[in-house]
Amino acid sequence: MAKIDLDKMLEKVKATQWSLADIDWDAPGAELITYEQWPKLKDFMADLMWIEHVGARAFAAMSRKAPTETLRQMYSYFHAEEQRHANAEMALMKRWGMLEGDVIPEPNVNLRLVIEWLDRYADDMPFYILGAVIPMLEIALDGALCTFLLETVADPVCHQAFERINDDESRHLGVGFTVMEMQGHNKTTIGIIKMIAPIVDPRLLLGIASYVPLLNKMRDNIMDMGLPEEKLYAAMRKFEKIGGRTADGRRNPWYQIIQTHGKFVVNRSNRFYHAPVDAAVKLTGLIPRRMLPAVPSWVKELTWQPTA
Amino acid sequence: MTDTKSSPAPSKLEKENPASVIIIGAGFAGLGMAIRLQQAGVTDIVILERANDVGGTWRDNQYPGAACDIPSNLYSYSFAPNPDWSRSFSGSGEILDYIHHLMKEFQLQRYVRCGKNVVDVIFDEKSALWKATTSEGEVFTGRAAVMAQGPLSNAGFPDIDGIEDFKGHKIHSARWDHDYDFRGKKVAVIGTGASAIQIIPELVKEVDHLTVFQRTPGWVMPRPDFETPDWNKKLFRKMPAAQAALRQVLFLAHESMALAVIWSSPLTRLAERLGRWHLRNQVKDKWLRRQLSPSYRIGCKRVLVSNEYYPALQRKNCKLITWPMYKISHKGIRTVEGVEHQFDCIVFATGFEVSNAGTPFPVKGLGGRLLDDEWSGGAQAYKSINVAGYPNLFFMFGPNSGPGHNSALVYMESQLDYAVKGIKKILDGDLRTLDVKPKAQTQHNNAIQKRLAKTNWNSGCMSWYLTADGFNATMYPGFATQYANQMKTFEEDDYMVVPAA
Repeated sequence: MAKIDLDKMLEKVKATQWSLADIDWDAPGAELITYEQWPKLKDFMADLMWIEHVGARAFAAMSRKAPTETLRQMYSYFHAEEQRHANAEMALMKRWGMLEGDVIPEPNVNLRLVIEWLDRYADDMPFYILGAVIPMLEIALDGALCTFLLETVADPVCHQAFERINDDESRHLGVGFTVMEMQGHNKTTIGIIKMIAPIVDPRLLLGIASYVPLLNKMRDNIMDMGLPEEKLYAAMRKFEKIGGRTADGRRNPWYQIIQTHGKFVVNRSNRFYHAPVDAAVKLTGLIPRRMLPAVPSWVKELTWQPTA
Repeated sequence: MTDTKSSPAPSKLEKENPASVIIIGAGFAGLGMAIRLQQAGVTDIVILERANDVGGTWRDNQYPGAACDIPSNLYSYSFAPNPDWSRSFSGSGEILDYIHHLMKEFQLQRYVRCGKNVVDVIFDEKSALWKATTSEGEVFTGRAAVMAQGPLSNAGFPDIDGIEDFKGHKIHSARWDHDYDFRGKKVAVIGTGASAIQIIPELVKEVDHLTVFQRTPGWVMPRPDFETPDWNKKLFRKMPAAQAALRQVLFLAHESMALAVIWSSPLTRLAERLGRWHLRNQVKDKWLRRQLSPSYRIGCKRVLVSNEYYPALQRKNCKLITWPMYKISHKGIRTVEGVEHQFDCIVFATGFEVSNAGTPFPVKGLGGRLLDDEWSGGAQAYKSINVAGYPNLFFMFGPNSGPGHNSALVYMESQLDYAVKGIKKILDGDLRTLDVKPKAQTQHNNAIQKRLAKTNWNSGCMSWYLTADGFNATMYPGFATQYANQMKTFEEDDYMVVPAA
């Protein structure tokens, strides 16, 4: 992946848009979902959809913080594109009879906590932190999940939709890694320390406290569905490899923080990490739903309907 | 403005003798010019108007809710006060009535030629006359010419694919379709600028569902709008000095806003706080508030005023969409979140075409020079009103004459009086040409651009004030008082004067 000309990329993003209406959601093939697949796939799709949606909100925050007009526009497109992915995934669920009525599937507690955090604090976070977390989430969760999905689901409409989604995602990743390198470019030691400093910001600590169990929770969910754990880890290692391909990228302290954390996640024998985090997953699972604050109104923008 | 090739019938050519002054456009500027010239003893005037009625902006912008953002007592001519304004901020109908009242009071009808769409304006060096040719081939000539066609007179549409494909009804805010029945319809409004925030609260009362497409949120300020009590109208009728005093107070109040709007100062922060308070006070949902929060400094784009806009957006039958639009299909608008929003009607409240060249038709000066070419890198003039190489020609709302904080008509009055001085010199001194020196023009512009660099307009947002390259040829970087002072003196040394042979 060579460094990207962001202006050209923005033009390309603008020129390659698509709509839910471009896909025939009633085309034959829905019957290819097997009886055994159906319940697992239902949970899987719900999680995937929510991750896309959470990614969307993070891009919205990045658009606000973007250092240039090109990036500001780029991220406002990415925000909408992630929303489109969530909408398309919901449309697939609708096609497969997985939506009860037209109701949006409920997010799990860990997602709810991340949504709550994003709603409260994401707009206040420094650009470079989101700029390092997002590529990790995209490459690990999106990347691994989408490949797994296409390997196990035979429905051609699903393939059609994910072909478009993956095209978008590859652009998101390309921009994500380029931006990560830009943030590390020519940084002095003092500059790097300044970039690390927000780690003691209590708002960020709360964010970490909701992000970390989410990863373990998603890992568990994915395992339940039969995705080999190794695939997820392979995707996470890709982050380390691509993000660290240049000196600028490696100089970005948040790349270092995220990839080190990635190593913890991948290493199941690291009990110092996994024991407390798994406990946190269990603990958060005990939070009664009614204790959670109301979902923010941006969540209600999701729709499976191609037209409004 | 299409039929320029067909050769006109000879009988139509130059059917009138050269006038002293030809004025292009019968809006506030053109009519004001005629009044001031008339008061200075020049009555040999021809006003060419492309529409069938006078009134310019206020004739065109008759959409529901259309009103002025500046209090009427300040948005009117000081030489023609109106004691009967019904509200502090009048609607467009009342402003148009005021213009018609000016027509009657100053007997301007005799000058106005309606239905004359000017296609080019050329300086004929042989006769030293300006020749304005209409689309029907008629030629009107004058010793001096005034360009009062208005900077924002041609409707502008957004750059979105497929506008032509939409099968439903399309309306532009400045060409309202009063016959269209909105009841029971699904309607879209594209744009959230000055026109849109006036249209939306009115439209939402009529339609079945309204969807508002926002590209960039603006700063919206509360609007202190009141009905004028009868005793007040009586007072103004009996004691015009009281109205003049109020005008002065309003003028000074607006002048002080320059400190918030034009330059970044503690007042700017204060104005931003007021804007945020207004938003917080009227919008309870956090996400909607975020969508409506501007991310640029106040003043960088036009500041909006409304008490009704935010509540209208929150009505049950209204929805704000901030997803980027990428295409218009035959049924509606496609946005990047993957949804096609379908409508019976799309209202384009997308403003006006701002011609960087400054004029919507070719203007040719000495030696056949073309204004379009000279201004291709950004328009510039001397004191916004004269351009070197285009003698005896006066621009109303020319380059760098735009106010961001005060009444346009205050600026206009100084331009009118300046033009009267110039025109009187040409007529009384029997001059062949009065042409500003290129050096004076360059000096003036260097100073203007230097001052502009420090203003909020040039602080990094994109707006119609700037060209694609970020050049600001629109706004005047200063107080209205400074502008008025600039226009008060006519420096003859800055002009080349050629007497008639």
